[in-house]
Amino acid sequence: MPPPYAPEPEGTGGRRQKAMAVVFVLLSLVAMYLPDSGQQQIAGLLRATALRPFIAVQDRLVSSRLRAQEVSTVQAQMDSLAGLMATQASLADENRTLRNLLDLSSRLGPSFRGASLLRSGTPGSESMFILDVGQADGVQEGAPVVDRHGLVGVVREVRQQSAMGIDWTHPDFRASAMLADGTAFGLVETQRGAFREEDVLVLNGTAFYEAVPEGMPVLTSGMGGVFPRGIPIGSVAGVADAEGRWRKSYWLRPMVHPASVTHVLVGVGERIQDLSHVWPPDSAMTRDQAILWEYHMADSLRALTDSVAAMRAHLDELMGIPADSSAVAKADPTPPPGVMP
Amino acid sequence: MRARTVVYVVAAVLVVLHFFLHVGLGIGGAAPDLLVVALLLVSREVGIGGAAGVGFALGLLEDALSVLAFGVNSAAMALVGLAGGTTRDLFVGDSLAFLVSYFVLGKFTRDLLAWVVMGAVLRGPFVAQVLVEGLLGGVYAAVVGIALMAVTGLWRESPR
Repeated sequence: MPPPYAPEPEGTGGRRQKAMAVVFVLLSLVAMYLPDSGQQQIAGLLRATALRPFIAVQDRLVSSRLRAQEVSTVQAQMDSLAGLMATQASLADENRTLRNLLDLSSRLGPSFRGASLLRSGTPGSESMFILDVGQADGVQEGAPVVDRHGLVGVVREVRQQSAMGIDWTHPDFRASAMLADGTAFGLVETQRGAFREEDVLVLNGTAFYEAVPEGMPVLTSGMGGVFPRGIPIGSVAGVADAEGRWRKSYWLRPMVHPASVTHVLVGVGERIQDLSHVWPPDSAMTRDQAILWEYHMADSLRALTDSVAAMRAHLDELMGIPADSSAVAKADPTPPPGVMP
Repeated sequence: MRARTVVYVVAAVLVVLHFFLHVGLGIGGAAPDLLVVALLLVSREVGIGGAAGVGFALGLLEDALSVLAFGVNSAAMALVGLAGGTTRDLFVGDSLAFLVSYFVLGKFTRDLLAWVVMGAVLRGPFVAQVLVEGLLGGVYAAVVGIALMAVTGLWRESPR
């Protein structure tokens, strides 16, 4: 009989539990001191069976994160490229404008001076502009303001270092004009539209029976002494109005869109009477036409370069000289910024 | 009998959830140590042998993901299971104070044992790894464990 306060005698279940506990503790110690290969085998087996679903979830999650990062990277690269392209487009446009002005300036000579055209942007000053040249530079009231494509406007007010002018969208704008072939004369003025984008040029006062073909360039005639003769204003776009049987007016497609003008040439010093030689009839074209024309020219040059390179390669082949594949220039099918192919 | 079944089911869910959070989602320390919670719950239902066996098995699963310290978790968990199984012979009752102490000490002991067994080369500073992480992890495990027991109805029913 056991003593009254002695611990309860253990049954076989209790002893078995203790033995199991000892076995498992020993097993865990054995696991610690297993050789590396044995540990790796056990770990690999568990990873491939019981833990496999969780590791697969982790794999998927990591892959998704990586893909998301890749998308972000690609998006950032696309944004950078788009930004670069946008910057290049404006730079190319400005470069083209300045090159055109340099070209025009060399033809106009010292009687015209380059200037930057600014717009104040305040209500009521939509058709007016400010030039960064003034009296000190020889600018006078009434001096013509031109760019590569034709007449932009006229100077109205001159200060020491700056000048103010109006472009052809101003209601007060008038210019005596003629067809490029000199067959008809008239007066070009602005007709305001409901919106500023609807402002158009009209050639008024031409004889009713005078044949005016559509697309014919209209130049300043030099009459009245305001503008020199031969500055392109626009091209005929159709009949606007006919009065009785004695007068017709025509819509003009303007050579210059004032909103896109940033650099101009301003007349200085002695007035020149005739500028017909500066804008030959075949060079009178709008800005968009000029860009398209330049693109076609560049395309033709590229095609010519390709042909020459191909001929040279063929010649080298005939003469037994190893062909240099890099000599064949690749034609760039991308049109210049701002032009649809 | 019903309570024991619920304990086993809850423990199984906790084990799956532990590996889903720690391994699948890679949450790490932000997720509680649900293996310890599961082991401590089961330990009160099975004998010390069974508890040590469950601890050994769960520890071995953790060791499978450990590159350098294989066996550390299985040893620590087996000993914690053994200790947890022993408590049912020493303490009877489901008071909140007992449950909090049970989970906090269980987690703390598990981290302490792992730290001791791990060896000087692999283990981190005692204060950070055992005192801070062990106690905070214990409180976290206690909150989760007691909440689970309350939700599943285990707290109202005595395990014995």
